[in-house]
Amino acid sequence: MVSSVATILGRSISRRATASALVCAVPLAMVSSVSFAQAPPLKIGVILPLSGNFTPAGEDALTGLRIYFDSINNEVAGRKIQLIVEDEQGRPDVALTKARKLVENDKVQILTGFVSSAVALAVNDYAREKKIPMVISADGGANELTTPGPLANPYLVRTSQNGRTPSAAAAEYVFKQGWRKVAALTSDYAGGFDTIGGFAQAFCKLGGTIVQEQYPPLNTNDFGPYVTGIKRDADAVVTFLPGAGGLKFAKQFIELGLKDKMPLMDIFGQIAYEPYLPQLADGGLGILSVLHYTPMIKTPENEAFVKEYVARAKRLPSDNGPDAWVGAKAIAEAAKAVDGKVEDTDKFLAAFRTLKFDSPKGPISFDKFGQVIHSMYIRKVEKVGNDYANVPVQAINNIDQFWPFSLEEFESYKYRYADLKGSMTDCKKVLEKK
Amino acid sequence: MIWVIHTLNGVSFGMLLFLLAAGLSLIYGLMKILNLTHGSYYLVGAYIGSTVIATTGSFVLALIVAPLVVAVLGMVMERFFLRRFHLDELPQTLLTFGFLFIFADLSLWIWGGDPIMLPKPALFSRSIDIGGLGYPTYRLMLIAVGLLVALILWWFQERTRLGAMLRAGVDDAEIARAMGIDVSLLFTLVFAVGAMLAAFGGVLGGPIIGAGPGTDFDVMLLAFVVVIIGGLGSLRGALVGGLLVGLLDNFGKIFFPEFALFTIFVPMAIILSFRPTGLFGRA
Amino acid sequence: MRRHLLVIILAIAIFAALPFVLPTYYLSLTTKILIFALFAMSLDLLIGYTGLASLGHAAFFGLGGYTIGVLVVRYHVSEWIAFPAGILMAIAVGALFAVLALRARGSYFLMITLALAQVVWGIAFGWRTLTGGDDGLPGVKRPTFFVSLADENSFYYFVLLMVGLSALALVAIIRSPFGHALRGIRESETRMLALGYNVWRHQFVAFVLAAAFAGLAGCLFVYNNRFVSPDFLHVVRSAEVLIMVILGGVGTLLGPAIGAAVIILLEDFVSSLTQRWLLILGIVYVATTLFAPRGLIGLYKEHFSRNRKR
Repeated sequence: MVSSVATILGRSISRRATASALVCAVPLAMVSSVSFAQAPPLKIGVILPLSGNFTPAGEDALTGLRIYFDSINNEVAGRKIQLIVEDEQGRPDVALTKARKLVENDKVQILTGFVSSAVALAVNDYAREKKIPMVISADGGANELTTPGPLANPYLVRTSQNGRTPSAAAAEYVFKQGWRKVAALTSDYAGGFDTIGGFAQAFCKLGGTIVQEQYPPLNTNDFGPYVTGIKRDADAVVTFLPGAGGLKFAKQFIELGLKDKMPLMDIFGQIAYEPYLPQLADGGLGILSVLHYTPMIKTPENEAFVKEYVARAKRLPSDNGPDAWVGAKAIAEAAKAVDGKVEDTDKFLAAFRTLKFDSPKGPISFDKFGQVIHSMYIRKVEKVGNDYANVPVQAINNIDQFWPFSLEEFESYKYRYADLKGSMTDCKKVLEKK
Repeated sequence: MIWVIHTLNGVSFGMLLFLLAAGLSLIYGLMKILNLTHGSYYLVGAYIGSTVIATTGSFVLALIVAPLVVAVLGMVMERFFLRRFHLDELPQTLLTFGFLFIFADLSLWIWGGDPIMLPKPALFSRSIDIGGLGYPTYRLMLIAVGLLVALILWWFQERTRLGAMLRAGVDDAEIARAMGIDVSLLFTLVFAVGAMLAAFGGVLGGPIIGAGPGTDFDVMLLAFVVVIIGGLGSLRGALVGGLLVGLLDNFGKIFFPEFALFTIFVPMAIILSFRPTGLFGRA
Repeated sequence: MRRHLLVIILAIAIFAALPFVLPTYYLSLTTKILIFALFAMSLDLLIGYTGLASLGHAAFFGLGGYTIGVLVVRYHVSEWIAFPAGILMAIAVGALFAVLALRARGSYFLMITLALAQVVWGIAFGWRTLTGGDDGLPGVKRPTFFVSLADENSFYYFVLLMVGLSALALVAIIRSPFGHALRGIRESETRMLALGYNVWRHQFVAFVLAAAFAGLAGCLFVYNNRFVSPDFLHVVRSAEVLIMVILGGVGTLLGPAIGAAVIILLEDFVSSLTQRWLLILGIVYVATTLFAPRGLIGLYKEHFSRNRKR
């Protein structure tokens, strides 16, 4: 018995700093000689869509998450990492049920994942009430989750983008190209208004104007009316069309000959989405997009990541992959910073805010609200060898959620983006202060 | 000029809808089965078509293979499963929902969750100039094909013996059987044709509507709306209904962008309140 | 005759004891089951007893939820007003839909109810300033009806009370002369007309009652989740509850309740085990249709009931 205890102590001391080993020595000695149980496993509940429309995003995120955790042997600060993955089927009420199961039944210490904003919002309240750290790492970009307001959650950290930053980056690039009048097109839902609203605000501030706004419904099959309706005197077309809409719109935009007449800036890379590029083929060349990632980023981290990703998933990563990777690393690093005592929630969450590291999507840090600070990439579709790829033409680093504004300036605007639907062409209203 | 384009868009979409609705209407007319799996036939047809095109490069081959495969699936479904619940609405509903889920998940498993659009055949990938805008010849082809299929189906129904048997079966299956018509073979045949039409629509519609998770439900709803507006069991209704819905949807979105979500359902509700069995349907 | 009543009272007693026995997660699942049992039973009144199959029943479920959501989140109205308002809204819209839909029968009726529900869904999805659009309305606090229902046990008892009372009410309805008339109408409208019944009025009342109970279920669901979103009224939700009714056994009231439990439990359990849960669910539905075409209750009656024909 004594010798086993010594073995336990010996193992633990070799793995941890002496100080914490001393602290843990006594409970370990008491734990058992039968099993050399170390600290209890770190259970992470992963809530992702693995069926339904968002399946590719969910699978991407899961792959990215697993790549990171496998790279550290699924262990951090002496605790084994246990992933419990649940499929929320793209439905907020199922997500809530799964969150309850993970927290109350499986006793996870952290919740992560979250692709759709509706799902993130549904679980947000619950996580806040149960004081469970929630690491959104697969999208879930609703702005209000990390800005001061009723939805703000001190237990929440987000390593994926928030709604407005890609739009702001797009606005800057578009303006710099000399394009002053823009025709905007986005799907008729909250995410669409958020995105184009964010664009409008940044673009108006710079001195440009939106001359037209169109809102095709989410399940539009035929973009004919919208494409033919684009105002020809605009300098460029700016879009945010998630899901199949981006592909359908692009095909008709190309077919009707407009792509060669007007530059297209695709916010969030919904058209220039890797699985669509081969389908658009030569027609897609030259399409600009903005996103916080492209598989073509030439850094050693990213090249290694993409290689591993392709080996596992047989496809290129979308942004969900590296976002989830960053989420996983952030969890691991924060856990290390608190010596594995993730249950000390306040300390654990504070540790996130101090993190800084490199990642496949570029340099990472966090702001005081728990929102990641990362880079935006302006990409152009080009032919690379035999394939079509999103080649980065410009990178803007260290973009926080309010960029290019400060928090104060951001909060001084009177209208929320969603309320600007219908008035995006009116720069005075867009920039109106409280 | 732009109105010509809008109209062509509406008509070409309408033709696609006709293809989808025709099969559903025929099946209902003869067997009183409201086949919820109809959209799944479209989906599987489009996916199989995409695989055929990816491996052989031939759009025409896809147009042949996909409908054949789906026809077989349809026949198996009808013969071994649906036949038992002929005239029994509710078990039919559960059964077809079950198959809808099965097809949906298998498709997701095999082809993945990213939306796809089929590439157009080289012959019809150009655009012709209409009023300063390029209009895809593919859509014009779609209109032509739709009319051709309508003609073939009409000829078949009105002028052939098989068609006569079909009409007899629709009118009164019992008497038809008494007259020596092999009604059960007819059922299987018609079901196969219906499934084939849906899959054919899937390949033809692939370059326009595409396919992805959820397309089965969307297409099923659209086909149902057309069939109900046109009248269950009526081929003429499927054609008129298809064109009507295609045009309404198109122009509705142009004139009433705020109500784009309703452009199909509101007209349907209105038409049904005046003619509860659809434009050409029988009570 | 009294068996129905006995079963319900026994069930209520068992359910009342559950919070002392079940872990919190399974209790929350039971709450969800109770709510959907009510939803399914309300649809059964329409399908099983009146003979009208609807594919738009989720509209009323969602209207109950959204009414509370909008009143509470946008206008900060008290739950004493919001809760009944949800049910009243479902009743009002139910009456409207009934007037429009009852012109049709059979498959046409099915499609009209679907179309009308889609219109409601479109409004919920599109009228973002009121309904929150596709994000829905999070932040609906649990109500306080003399007692705060914020903790899961209290809320569970509240739901049990509401669902139990509703079940008793539904039993009373189907036992009443009105209920008998409904069944007659399900068998043959023309015969009932010939007998002098105002068929349309009976169907209308049945439709509105079904809508009311569905609305109540929706009110309970929004409080359960503390948010409402468009998938409360999506066609998939309508399909789901229809499946619950058919799987359980149409026209038995108990069947749909059991169907709701089976489907929720199956989905929950299987989706945690495999990504292919939809495939498995589909296979279960097909198998059920083949081996239990009258639903689970039908299966029971066929094999275990004392009354089965030899």
